[in-house]
Amino acid sequence: MTAAAPTPARQSDPGLRGQLSNLRGLLLFSVLMTECNDETQIAHLATSSIPSLGTARLRALYIEGGGWQAFDGPRTEPALRQLEAQLHSLDGVGGPVEIPGDAWSWAYALGGGSASFLVVGAVAEPSTENRFLLQVLAQETGVTMANARLHAHERATAKQLEETLRALQRSMDIHKRLTQVAVRGEGQEGLAQAIHDLTGYPVAIEDRYGNLRAWAGSERPEPYPKDPAPKREQLLRRLIREARPTRDGGRLVALARPRGDLLGVIALVDPNGDCGEHELVALEHGATILAMELARLRSLAEAELRVRRDLVEALLDGTDDETVQSRAQGLGYDLGRSHRVVIAEGRGRTRDDDDVFFHAVRRAARDLSVGTLMVARNGAVLVLANEDVPWEDFRQAVLRELGGGRCRLGVGGLCERPADFARSHREAQLALRMERSRSRADRATRFDDLGVYRLLCEVPDLGAVERFVRDRLGGLLDYDSRKKSDLVRTLTLFLEHGGNYIATAEALFVHPSTLKYRLQRIRDLTRYDLNDPETRFSLQLSTRAWQTLGARREEEEVLPPPAPRAGRPAPPSC
Amino acid sequence: MGMSVTVDFGIPGLQVAQGDHICAFYRGLRDRDRVLIPYLRAGLAAGDKCLCVVDATDPETVLAELRGHLDVDRRVAAHQLDVLASQDTYLHAGAFRTDRMIEYWDGAVRSALCDGGFSFVRAVGEMTWALRDVPGVDELVGYESRLNRFLPLHPQVILCLYDLERFSGELILEILKTHPKILVRGMVTENPYYLEPEEFLAARR
Repeated sequence: MTAAAPTPARQSDPGLRGQLSNLRGLLLFSVLMTECNDETQIAHLATSSIPSLGTARLRALYIEGGGWQAFDGPRTEPALRQLEAQLHSLDGVGGPVEIPGDAWSWAYALGGGSASFLVVGAVAEPSTENRFLLQVLAQETGVTMANARLHAHERATAKQLEETLRALQRSMDIHKRLTQVAVRGEGQEGLAQAIHDLTGYPVAIEDRYGNLRAWAGSERPEPYPKDPAPKREQLLRRLIREARPTRDGGRLVALARPRGDLLGVIALVDPNGDCGEHELVALEHGATILAMELARLRSLAEAELRVRRDLVEALLDGTDDETVQSRAQGLGYDLGRSHRVVIAEGRGRTRDDDDVFFHAVRRAARDLSVGTLMVARNGAVLVLANEDVPWEDFRQAVLRELGGGRCRLGVGGLCERPADFARSHREAQLALRMERSRSRADRATRFDDLGVYRLLCEVPDLGAVERFVRDRLGGLLDYDSRKKSDLVRTLTLFLEHGGNYIATAEALFVHPSTLKYRLQRIRDLTRYDLNDPETRFSLQLSTRAWQTLGARREEEEVLPPPAPRAGRPAPPSC
Repeated sequence: MGMSVTVDFGIPGLQVAQGDHICAFYRGLRDRDRVLIPYLRAGLAAGDKCLCVVDATDPETVLAELRGHLDVDRRVAAHQLDVLASQDTYLHAGAFRTDRMIEYWDGAVRSALCDGGFSFVRAVGEMTWALRDVPGVDELVGYESRLNRFLPLHPQVILCLYDLERFSGELILEILKTHPKILVRGMVTENPYYLEPEEFLAARR
């Protein structure tokens, strides 16, 4: 058995020996308090040890910044305020205080420059030895608490640092992985997979309309749900307003918005709403990479579109040089194939929108494999067709894409080399104009099918055609010009309908008696016998020449002739 | 064993002497087991009779903890290890009585030495039972002091476990007076605050 070694004090003075023993015990006790490392437990040990140190009893333990850790008696506001005021007046140094019911009461400072006190009281003043022990207890408590606070602060700092480092590491991992996606060109699929790998949540990438572009993770919904357009627009507006990942039902959604253009969204599927900071960072980085990827794709598409447009424009202008060939080569387009220039004119049923018409033509051309090179010009769409298809079918396909409305086509002759495109373009224009002047109905017109019109179109000397027309129709043209009448057109349609009164009147939208009146007027002015086959043939050729002249005049107005001519007949209106 | 014989405590570098009455302070169950389990493991490995009384957990929890390292069940069957609950020892019949408890220790130690053939006994008691509201718990410090008279009678060592998070400072200061050695911060140290039983008990009368 082990016992404390006898000391000189034990032999000489039992009182001093007891005091020394108490002091040693208190020092040992402070070691135990240090073990606690927790201010509340230290306070509990310190305050509960007071009865062992003599007759004094705990009245209060006040910690600066922590308030009352212990208080003997009811904690009424006046009692607390009264004692607190006394402690403040002590200015961090211990001293006597007044506590109702105590003959002696003292506030021992816990030290360390703080206004913290251990307050004790007794029915009589304790002995000097006991007061000394109380002072030691207060000081040891102060030191131990300060150490505990310091350790707690260090632990908190270390923990905070550790968390910061962990967050930084995670952020670096995210950055590294997503940079890899961008550098390797893994695209939207690769990006979705990377975000899924980093977060563990299913990931969806959608275009601005809500169509799924990429998915990673399990449980991909089939069919993929899509919000109605107004709801989608509402979400996008909210995302723009919030400017950070935002919760939308069971998903956390971020916007990919390169240079302010809204191109798509990326979403973490998180129905339980337990996404943390790490997932948020991954999603934000992901949205940035997606924005870069979409901007890159759009830039590529715009560049390709520009090159395509330039190529079409150059071909229609009749350019046949190295530039045209290199542009075609750049696009991977085979100019060696036979082509035709096709002009589509029209509009949708309800909206006068050039874009709608252009995309209807584009989709129809794609579906019927007509061709991929096209350009919008003056409200019409010019297609460089590399396939000969039934053109009425193509026209019907455009109308289907439009959902109704109007469409007429002019189809130029074959191009075997780049220099032919300008000619085919002119032919397509003429075909369209001829059709426009001949009929109110929309149809597809091939220049190759124009018959005598085609012959008249190809007469190089427009003056000769003009003379031919004036020789036979000059009187009627002058009359129409003077009287603002419509006799030449009436004659034209009468002849085109084989002299059928009813059909002609319907085409002119006039009553048959009006038609008869006009025909009689024509007979009176020209003295022509409209029943004579020879006269009818000659007049029909003249009216067709007149129509051709009108179409060619229109063409010249678009591309003015080198020099003006006098005495032209007025072009037809349709 | 003579008085100078040292006993491996179970914690590396830590040894106690035969006859020691040691008070160990800890904070919470994990901290308790950091002392208790190595202490018992070292005793079992040395071939000592091990007597353990626990209060905050049931005996099976301690046995399960020991099983990870030793063939505990065989040692329990061979009566080398007894892990008991406080209600079956300290608080038998719902109350604490100093005389009865010291008689219990004496009987158990004698039985181990004479019938069990063990040459050394190491005992350990988790003392949180003394915080319960049952008759006789106020005898705790007197009991602890009287144990000091019992320790030299046999080749043994007794370890008393006190949870700093649950005992008051006043009781801890009293307990300090009754243990010649204390274990704190992984070290066994002489307790200058210790009072011989005669002096301590006389002061309490």
